Order: sequence, then C-alpha cells, then structure tokens
Amino acid sequence: MSNDVVLEVKNLKTHFISSKGIAKAVDGVDFVLRKGETLGIVGESGCGKSMTSLSILRLIPSPPGKIVDGEVLLNGKNLVTMPNAELRKIRGNRISMIFQEPMTSLNPVIPVGEQIAEALRLHQGLSKKAAWAKSVEMIGLVGIPSPEKRAKQEPFQLSGGMRQRVMIAMALACTPEVLIADEPTTALDVTIQAQILEIMKDLQRKIGMGIIFITHDLGVVAEMCDQVAVMYAGQIVEHQNTAELFKNPLHPYTQGLIGSLPKLYEDQDELQIIEGTVPSPYDYPEGCRFAERCPFARSICSEKQPDLIQYDEESKVRCWKYTNEWQVSLTKELVTT
Amino acid sequence: MIFFILKRLMQIVPVILGVTLVVFLIMQMVPGDSAVILAGEGASKETVEELREDLGLNKPLHEQYFSYIGNIFQGDLGHSLKNNQPVLEEIMIRLPITMELAFFSILITVVLGLIAGIISAVKPYSFSDIGVMLVALLGISLPSFWLGLLLMYIFSIKLQWLPVAGWDSMAHIVLPAITLGAGGAAIVARMTRSSMLEVVGQDYIRTARAKGLKEHVIIYKHALRNALIPVITVVGLQFGGLLGGTVLVESVFAINGLGRMIVDSIRTRDIPMVQGGVLVASLVFVFVNLLVDTLYRVFNKRIDLN
Ligand SMILES: Nc1ncnc2c1ncn2[C@@H]1O[C@H](COP(=O)(O)OP(=O)(O)O)[C@@H](O)[C@H]1O
Ligand SMILES: [Mg+2]
Repeated sequence: MSNDVVLEVKNLKTHFISSKGIAKAVDGVDFVLRKGETLGIVGESGCGKSMTSLSILRLIPSPPGKIVDGEVLLNGKNLVTMPNAELRKIRGNRISMIFQEPMTSLNPVIPVGEQIAEALRLHQGLSKKAAWAKSVEMIGLVGIPSPEKRAKQEPFQLSGGMRQRVMIAMALACTPEVLIADEPTTALDVTIQAQILEIMKDLQRKIGMGIIFITHDLGVVAEMCDQVAVMYAGQIVEHQNTAELFKNPLHPYTQGLIGSLPKLYEDQDELQIIEGTVPSPYDYPEGCRFAERCPFARSICSEKQPDLIQYDEESKVRCWKYTNEWQVSLTKELVTT
Repeated sequence: MIFFILKRLMQIVPVILGVTLVVFLIMQMVPGDSAVILAGEGASKETVEELREDLGLNKPLHEQYFSYIGNIFQGDLGHSLKNNQPVLEEIMIRLPITMELAFFSILITVVLGLIAGIISAVKPYSFSDIGVMLVALLGISLPSFWLGLLLMYIFSIKLQWLPVAGWDSMAHIVLPAITLGAGGAAIVARMTRSSMLEVVGQDYIRTARAKGLKEHVIIYKHALRNALIPVITVVGLQFGGLLGGTVLVESVFAINGLGRMIVDSIRTRDIPMVQGGVLVASLVFVFVNLLVDTLYRVFNKRIDLN
C-alpha cells in the first residue's frame, strides 16, 4: 500500500445551531485517507458518521448545520473555505458519495442513464452521445443486466439492489480519487449486500480510489476496510488497522462493540451489550463522553476530556487508561484509601 | 394508457344524464313560467296556453325530459324559446369566445403562478418570498368581479391603455384574462412554493448536489419536475372554477360568451338554452379533466395506469 495521503480531515467540527441549543454532531474529528485505501468509520447511530461524511463535501443541511471549525484537505487544498464554484468541480468528480437510501436517492422522474450521464457531461465535457454510451457502460460495469434497456428506465422500475448499483455507477463514472459510502448496504438484504460490497472492492482495484466506508456493522468492516476509525458522540475514540482492531481493541467502547458481536465458534453464554445511553449532542459531559457507560471509569474520566493520543505507530486512542495521568490518579487513589 | 382514456370517455354518458337531469329539475323549481315570459306582458291567457302547447311544456315532466335526452344523443339540443334558433348553433357562436378567454386565463394562472411560486421557493422567508406570498394572498381573497372592476378603472378609464369592454382584439383579452386567471395564479403560486420546498429537502436533491450540478440545474431539472406533479392537479381543479368564473367576468366586461348566454337565458327562462349551455360547459370540463389526468400520468409514471 502506498503512503500518499489523498484526503485529510483536521479538527472538523459541524454543529447544528437552533432554538434548542447547539448540537455538536461532529466535534473535532481527525483522520487521513490514503490512495487506494479503505477507511471504515463505525459507531452507533447518531454518533455523527453521516454528518462527518456530508461535511467533507459541504452537503450538510444549512441552516441549521454549520462547519464551525477545521479543515478538509484534498491533496492539500482546503474544501471548507473553497468558493462554491470550485467546490462544484470536485463534487461528483474527484470526491463522490453513495448514500444509505437507494429508494429515495435517485430522482424519480429522470431515467437513471441520464442521471449518470449528466455528471459525465458536466465534469468530463463529454458530448450527449458519448456521455450516454459511457453511462450505459458504467451500468453494465456494476453488474446490471441489459444496461441499454435499464439506462432508459426510471428508478421505480428498478429494485433496491439495482438502484444502489446505479448509485455506485454514478459515483464512479468520473473515476474519483475518493468515494464516500455512507451505509451503502444497510437498507439491502444480505445476499444483495454481499454483491454490492464485492462490486465496490472490484471497482476499487480497477480505479484505485480511496474509500471512506461508513457503517455500524463490524462484520462489514472486517470484510471491507484496511483502517478503522471508531466514532462516539461526535469524536473519534480509536483508530487502528482492521486486523489489530479486532485482535486488540483499545478503547473500552470498541471492546464493548466487539464483545457484542456473536462469535461463531465460541460457546457464548450471553451477548455482551454496552449498557447505558449515548449522551445528547446538545449537552456533552465535561470529561470523557463514554465515562458514564465505561466499566473502567475513574474520577479523572469524568473530570477532563482525554485527547486522541498515539498508542503506537499505527494506532490512536482517546482514553485516560493509556496515559501517564491514569497511573498518577491510580496511585493517588491508593494513597487516599 | 389507451384503456384509461377510453374508460374515462365512457364516463361522459352518465355525466350527460346527470347534468341534464339536475338542470332540468332546477329550471322546473325556479319560479317563473317560460310561456308567460315569452308571450310578453299583457298577453292573453289563450296566447300563453297556445304557446305552452307549441313548446310541449304542457306534457308530463318525465316525457319532456326523455324526449330531450333522446334528442341530445342525436345531436339536437332543441331550439331557443326566445328566437327559435337552434341551441347548438347559438352555443357554437359563443363557445370559441369563452374557450379563448379560458385559455388565456389558464395561461396566466399557470405562467404567473409558476414564476411567482419558484421565486418564493428559491429563497424561502426572504423579502421576495414574503412579498410574493402577500400578493398571492390578496389574489385569493379578492372576488373576481371586484378585481375586474378595479383593473378596468385603472387601466381602461384612468390610464386608458386598454379597452373597457368587448371582444375584438388581443387588447380586449388582457384584462378579462387577468381577472379570471389571478385567483388561480395565486393558488398555483402557493402550491408551487410548498411543493418545491418539500422536494428540495428530498434525498435525490442531495444526490444532485453531490454530483456537482449548478444550483439552477438542480432547481429546474431536478426539483421543478417533481414539484410540478401536485401542481398539475391544482391547475386541473382551477379550470372548473374558471368556467364558473367566466359567467361573472363575461358580464363585467360585456363579452358575448357562453357564460353570459347562460345567465341571460336563465333570466328569460329559456330552458333549452340553459340546458344546452350547461351541458356543453360540463362536457368541456370533463374533457379538460381527462387531459389533466392524462398529463399527470405522463409526468408521474409511478402511478398504476389502471
Ligand atoms: N437537522 C439537524 N438538526 C439538528 N441536529 C441534527 C440534524 N441532523 C443531525 N443532527 C445531529 O447530528 C447527530 C449525528 O447525526 P448523524 O451524523 O446522522 O449520525 P449517524 O452516525 O447515525 O450517521 C445526531 O445525533 C443529531 O443530533
Ligand atoms: Mg447515518
């Protein structure tokens, strides 16, 4: 795997400002994506995965959403401050997105072939005819039979799996450097899901784009991702390569997530499920956001927020357990008792 | 689709029966005797009776009705009681005028309504949105005869830009068409706005944006076509109200159309003319509805055609 960074997200903060207060949906997210690599972002629903991905292309609903801080660097150029006209040349061209909802993400009154072709005409300056031909080719490439016929159809004539394939074809038509897939298979049944994942991997080998793969399914992560970032309450709490993450999860939250997976070959007495609820994005606790649910929490955890620290060369974790302060507070507690 | 159209055409028969029956009954119930009115003031009893006999008004009601229906299906709408002209001929003189008025009114309803609705929806809660919606509210609340008189006063009498009344040139069409189309335009504007605002929040608009499309392509290509689907229905419904409105507007602007013919005929108890006029107006309404429904299906193919 080469080491060149395509996309770098630094201290990204996206907040929703309304009369109810400020919801810190994304609250200081950092990661890098390298060429040809797949980075998984996992976490429970509501932890800010979608808002992180939408913020990259500035697609968050605004108002009430707003990127209040941070940078998104595509080959070093900051997308957050870029003029709209320039950003439009990146959307769908150098960075593409696939969304969770295949049933509603395609325009119901426009033939699917045209929905792909319009991006090709826009970004690659293809003629009407050439764009259509390429569009049909893409529809074939994602494994839809008789693509000429399908291209002329409207979304309602296609199944959910086929629509998601069309979305993939649309996203990859302009051979982007980055593909953001936000739970692309969550709404599909298991066999279709496997096919879609296979197509994505196959096209990644052909095109070589980096993928940000958002999911709440650790099984899919294991299958798809090279790196994994675990999100909790608007922040990344752990970042490791996939094999390491499953072997040696660092953050108590990740340990809980992996512990809650049913294991095939082990006799399990019970599924481990993390107790408690996610704190509200309107009112995060002062200390660690996971402290309330954490079996290891000590006094320091509810006092100060931990940073995302380098655990070893490849891994990062946001937890007091792996800091010197932890040892200090441990000895203090021993002394006082 | 053809099956759908044929099915809808079959519905014309019950419409004819229903409309004629209702008009027939109403005309029987309203006070005033055609024969008396026709004979004129001071006519002798014998003259009136003779007239009644000639016109077949002394036959039992059901007989009168069935002979009328029988004639309709042979294309005969009877003769005017007033001048003995064939009703169909009288209608055919006036129908094109009313259709022309209706056409330009609906044009104003659609064009003005869409433009106003889009302006509002593109920047919701902006100055232009609030302004347009205030005017639309006014357009809905103003009675059309009042608006007609107001326009006539300003543009014909004060400014003398346009003719007061009549129906000779394009200039004559302007004020009546605006008068008749304004209320509909206001409703279409409000409908377009709310429909656009709903569509703009849909997932596929986010997809269009993620593709890098320009804002105007997103609005006109991706949003408007979806937003128009409910608007078409509203326009269709407006057409019904429009036909009713011609009665008022034709009277205000002294236009010799179908609406005014019906009103005049009611006044003189010219029953065949009233029945014929209402029947033709109803048929026009049915055909326009069929046209609208067909358009709706073309726009929105997701609807099951059966
Ligand atoms: N339109 C909105 N207004 C206010 N808050 C929002 C809005 N959309 C999302 N949020 C907040 O952002 C948080 C993260 O949402 P999201 O990124 O969709 O989570 P997920 O990880 O399930 O994709 C939610 O918990 C919610 O509080
Ligand atoms: Mg989500």
